[in-house]
Amino acid sequence: MNQYQVSAAEKKFIGSHILVAILALAVGSLFGPLQAFEHAGWDFYTYLKPWIKSYYQGLTVHGVLNALVWTTFFIMGFLTFNVIFGLKRPLKNPTLNKVGFWMMVVGVLAAAIPILANQATVLFTFYPPLKANWAFYVGLTLVVVGSWVEGWGLFMTYADWRKENKSERTPFVAFGSLVTILLWQICTLGVAVEILTMLLPWSLGLIEGVDPQLARTYFWFTGHPLVYFWLLPAYISWYAMLPKQAGNGKMFSDSLARLAFWIFLVLSTPLGFHHQYVDPGVPPAWKFIHSLLTFGVFFPSMMTAFTVIASLEHAGRKQGGKGIFGWIGKLKWSDPSVTSQLLAGILFFFGGIGGLANASYNVNLVLHNTAFIPGHFHLTVATAVTLSFIGISYWLVPYLTGRKLWQPAWARIQAWVWFVGMIIFSNSMHVLGLLGAPRRVPLGLAPYVPAEWNSRLFQVGLGGAILFVSGIMYLAVMYKTATNKERVESEVIVPIAEAMQDPAKSPVWLDRWAPWIYGTLALIVIVYGPQLVEQIANIALTSPGFRVW
Amino acid sequence: MSAHKMHVDSYERNWMIFSAVLLVVFATAVSVAAFGMGIQVPAPEQRVDPRTVATDPNSPWSNPGLREIAPGKYDAYILARAVPLWEYLPKELTVPAGSSVTFYVTSPDVQHGFKIQDTNANFMVLPGQVSKLTVKFDKAGTYNFICTEFCGAGHGIMYGAITVTP
Amino acid sequence: MANKDKEDEEFRPTGTLAILAIFVVTLIAIWATIYMILVGRGGTL
Repeated sequence: MNQYQVSAAEKKFIGSHILVAILALAVGSLFGPLQAFEHAGWDFYTYLKPWIKSYYQGLTVHGVLNALVWTTFFIMGFLTFNVIFGLKRPLKNPTLNKVGFWMMVVGVLAAAIPILANQATVLFTFYPPLKANWAFYVGLTLVVVGSWVEGWGLFMTYADWRKENKSERTPFVAFGSLVTILLWQICTLGVAVEILTMLLPWSLGLIEGVDPQLARTYFWFTGHPLVYFWLLPAYISWYAMLPKQAGNGKMFSDSLARLAFWIFLVLSTPLGFHHQYVDPGVPPAWKFIHSLLTFGVFFPSMMTAFTVIASLEHAGRKQGGKGIFGWIGKLKWSDPSVTSQLLAGILFFFGGIGGLANASYNVNLVLHNTAFIPGHFHLTVATAVTLSFIGISYWLVPYLTGRKLWQPAWARIQAWVWFVGMIIFSNSMHVLGLLGAPRRVPLGLAPYVPAEWNSRLFQVGLGGAILFVSGIMYLAVMYKTATNKERVESEVIVPIAEAMQDPAKSPVWLDRWAPWIYGTLALIVIVYGPQLVEQIANIALTSPGFRVW
Repeated sequence: MSAHKMHVDSYERNWMIFSAVLLVVFATAVSVAAFGMGIQVPAPEQRVDPRTVATDPNSPWSNPGLREIAPGKYDAYILARAVPLWEYLPKELTVPAGSSVTFYVTSPDVQHGFKIQDTNANFMVLPGQVSKLTVKFDKAGTYNFICTEFCGAGHGIMYGAITVTP
Repeated sequence: MANKDKEDEEFRPTGTLAILAIFVVTLIAIWATIYMILVGRGGTL
């Protein structure tokens, strides 16, 4: 089978993203178990004092590197690959994309210096008036703007393709990737405005104070769609690659998959107030409207669940699976890429349930800022997304480097160990949250912990330890693969599942950009506009900065 | 180019309809709790200047504590602060069982949280804003209130308690 | 190119519906449990 040849230079460029991503994961994941151990009362930070001053400095490293750096670099690399490979054409302006990439790298380094110097222990939400060193904000800005520049390079490549292929349907992997990038470019305006109009001038001493409520409103304009920026690349793989890998299955519904992506574009930004249900400065009416829209964005995930599982069932039945569940065992569990992504998908069911509970307006009073929240997002970003990316890397890294995956059995076991560790960790965090345990607290040392929490706190530590083993296994597999002397015999075949219905027969409106973009912007103006105008009109820059860590 | 109709498998169409109905049911249940049972989220109450809110003699938070406004009805003005130490002022409150207490909480420094265990009071505390919710304490006992937002090195020790006497 | 062959024509995703049914029951059970905690704790106005 002849597949489109991505140039060696482009493979190297994509590979650089994956390399930075995995390095960030390596450092960030070191701290994950240390956070979990603190819950169980096993205090390692005492011994780290010369380098890492506190639990919270470690938590900042963990959150920034894992949730922001690992994800963003992996995503930009994977989406760049999808656009090039999907459209079967090289980047229009590789220099532009390189500029974007290096801005992101410089940004990470600029943010890393104050974090490591304990000058930016503000966690990955950096809520003011906690005031970090200015370099932290400059670094974040560079990462975001660099990702914009890379996105522009991909849009330009697409525009050229479109000129030459006027009536073609955009190939799905490229389509999904471009929608994801568009979503990212729109939603990051919130955090860009937050940093450029408030946090950066404030950290440089140009303005005296900030408005913490307005800062949160800006932050969550970006904060929830950020979740979809993480998730949609995994969805692309689940929709269009995993069914092929799992047993030569076809994509059950190409047009509904496209519709789901458009709904994500339209609905994932105008619902940020669902992170601010218990903020004092936002009227309940707007919170309620955003809660209804949040229910709305759950809908395309339900569509995704059906299409993805049906595509997998198609694969399993092709491999001879009989009965209602007989096809599950026939999926290609021997392939670590398949195993990782299937396990990621299973835990995502529970991530979805927790997410819906969080989103349910006043139900959030039970859950807000409890341990339930990190329990929830370790199922979503730290499993559905991260374990899927790990699975993708099990074919993508051999494809990019031409080196054989080292010890596929190890890779497979790694995914199972992650699955087990995360079930133990996340289940106990959810239960602790329902019992009232707060997030962002080293609970092993907290004075108000009742005895009934202790067995769960132990399980948090145990889960963290198991996840640590899995993390080490992953890094070992990646290191040994990247340096493997054994090369693949011929280029790794990129798994792309055909659609059951010829995409050329799907409705034209599924390939029109303008109406969806106008709709997205209009909805943002309607449900964010009035509150933004009101909060900006009543801005009170009365909060000076604090360094209380 | 002809216009194509969207093909949707019948199982999948039914699943989508079912999903939509399910979400409407959840939204209805939430609305009943909010508008029928009065389980509401905080609303904008008042803006304050965080630089003076703890010291201005006209500010209730310069003298935080419990005020009985009617028999069995109380207003509790609480200051959540990280400087000089991570604590609530006052740290302890006592009310008789059956009391209805309206909390007014603000911060003179960084963001905090305020969650009273085993109640629906759980909200953000922001400098410059006043967070308000009401709780009716029917059962005697001790209810810890704890900080749920990162507010610096002492976040994990920041808490207080409400004693409800029989 | 994508073809709709006979085998695909006959494919009915019954297992998918079964899995989703289990999911929905779990979803309702967990969501309702948390909702009942909320309702049990009473009003906030």
